[in-house]
Amino acid sequence: MKISEETLNNISTLSKIKIDDDMKPKLIEDLEEILSMVHKMNKIDTDKIAPMSHPIDDAQNLREDISDKTIDRDAFQKYAPKTDNGFYLTPKVIEQND
Amino acid sequence: MTDLTSLTLLEQRDGLKNKKFSSEELTSEYLKRIDKKNKDINCFISIDDSAIEKAKKCDEKISNNSGSVLEGIPIAHKDIFCIKDQRTTCGSKMLDKFISPYSSTVYEKLSNAGVITLGKTNMDEFAMGSSNETSFYGSVKNPIDLERVPGGSSGGSAAAVSANLCSFSTGTDTGGSIRQPAAFCGVTGIKPTYGRVSRWGMIAFASSLDQGGVFAKTALDASLALENISGFDPKDSTSINKKVPSLLSEASSNDMDHIVGIPKSIINNIKDVKVKNNFEESIKILKKLGIKTKEIELPNLEYALPVYYVIAPAECSANLSRYDGVRFGYRCEEPKNLDDLYSRSRAEGFGDEVKKRILIGTFCLSAGYYDAYYIKAQKIRNLIKESFLNAFKEVSSIAMPTCANVSFKLNSIQSPVEMYEQDIYTIPANLAGLPAMSVPSGKINNLPLGIQFIGNYLKEGVILNLANKFQEQTDFHKQV
Repeated sequence: MKISEETLNNISTLSKIKIDDDMKPKLIEDLEEILSMVHKMNKIDTDKIAPMSHPIDDAQNLREDISDKTIDRDAFQKYAPKTDNGFYLTPKVIEQND
Repeated sequence: MTDLTSLTLLEQRDGLKNKKFSSEELTSEYLKRIDKKNKDINCFISIDDSAIEKAKKCDEKISNNSGSVLEGIPIAHKDIFCIKDQRTTCGSKMLDKFISPYSSTVYEKLSNAGVITLGKTNMDEFAMGSSNETSFYGSVKNPIDLERVPGGSSGGSAAAVSANLCSFSTGTDTGGSIRQPAAFCGVTGIKPTYGRVSRWGMIAFASSLDQGGVFAKTALDASLALENISGFDPKDSTSINKKVPSLLSEASSNDMDHIVGIPKSIINNIKDVKVKNNFEESIKILKKLGIKTKEIELPNLEYALPVYYVIAPAECSANLSRYDGVRFGYRCEEPKNLDDLYSRSRAEGFGDEVKKRILIGTFCLSAGYYDAYYIKAQKIRNLIKESFLNAFKEVSSIAMPTCANVSFKLNSIQSPVEMYEQDIYTIPANLAGLPAMSVPSGKINNLPLGIQFIGNYLKEGVILNLANKFQEQTDFHKQV
């Protein structure tokens, strides 16, 4: 399995992880090694097999539909990197057009 | 005077109850020992300064007979379990300054049972690793040989029990992260059935595989510890709503019959002759105890590793998308725009192994590859589960080695796949969601190795009973 630099750049964009150029050759080598091992899966025919949705089939529980105050905004925002008046701060998203 | 830290959990519980020593004395012995040993082993990330104060309160409860089942027992938590108002790092720079606003169910349950938390243990970053070398806080060293790894990802918890730095410890096991370090450090470690222990407040890596469990000196200690963290939790939608039996009673029962399945083709393919011999010797010990064994086939287990390295990274890429530099965790300096904030915070906050796994997972889930990787892996996962279910029609548990080798030297494995192969015997139980444990089974060149017992769904008591019988006949668990 070959991973091109273009593919690496694409998954870097999708996963929102910046990859420095000097890291790319080693990363490509590692990803190729891992995917070659993963490709052993192709030796087995799975056409008529259903995919597993959950290891224990009967375990998905739904809680009772009763509202429950579990989120305390102040407690959660106390440890956020930047907040203001209950809002999380990010760099400007909408640029102003003059 | 007896070294209190060398006693088993059950001995400590009896000693406290019978006032042979106090929780304050016991806690203080552990803290002194941690102070002396941790600089070499590096198994703790943080120490709870209020431990002695809490021990005094436990002693008051014990003296007026109002103590809970584990009152005054000093333990350690893997730093993946959130504790309200305390630092929870998950071994990552990303969470270096994270203070949790809530507590995990595992922490709550053990606190209600009366334990004292000595501190939080070191681990591979976000539980991704088999050697504890990926931690932001430096590698944990194996207490048996400081030049070697303790295994991972729960290496700090395994090392802490092995070095008598806590009575028992918590861990998590996504692909072997309790059993492999237990084997490398010469202690007993168990991961129960998927859903038995609540994942609430346990930082997620791969949600369909992650399961909390414990490390202890003996199978009986592990059974008491495990029964106190198990049970239904409405806060975890995958929690199993079934009553938890007294695992200590089941583990110590004399009335349990066993048929242990030996997966012939797996055993025949063990590469290291010494590992194979050790396994065969362990089976002889079981046979001498009158325990029946039966050769079985477990088809398709050779695909477990490739399947795992699609599913675990896929789930990790989704779970770790929450670390965006906005709501909590690391945030890069002076981001130019929102995209720069996300991609640089993640690039700087995550270590190399975590980034690698997120990239693999993103690749497997991306358009055009989803069916060929993720769906294919989930199909084979079903076949692996079926293999186990067929085997359990004939046997009550399955035995195989925990690892293909003993602990290796720090920084000696550079190939990612070679590192991933550490978990070749442990991953299948996670894919199927089955309970499994590792028990010390002897040594090679003075380094411990373990035998693994895998049980049917919710049959933790069966493998604990088998492990206890094994430990009644052997002293491997006393050799650390």
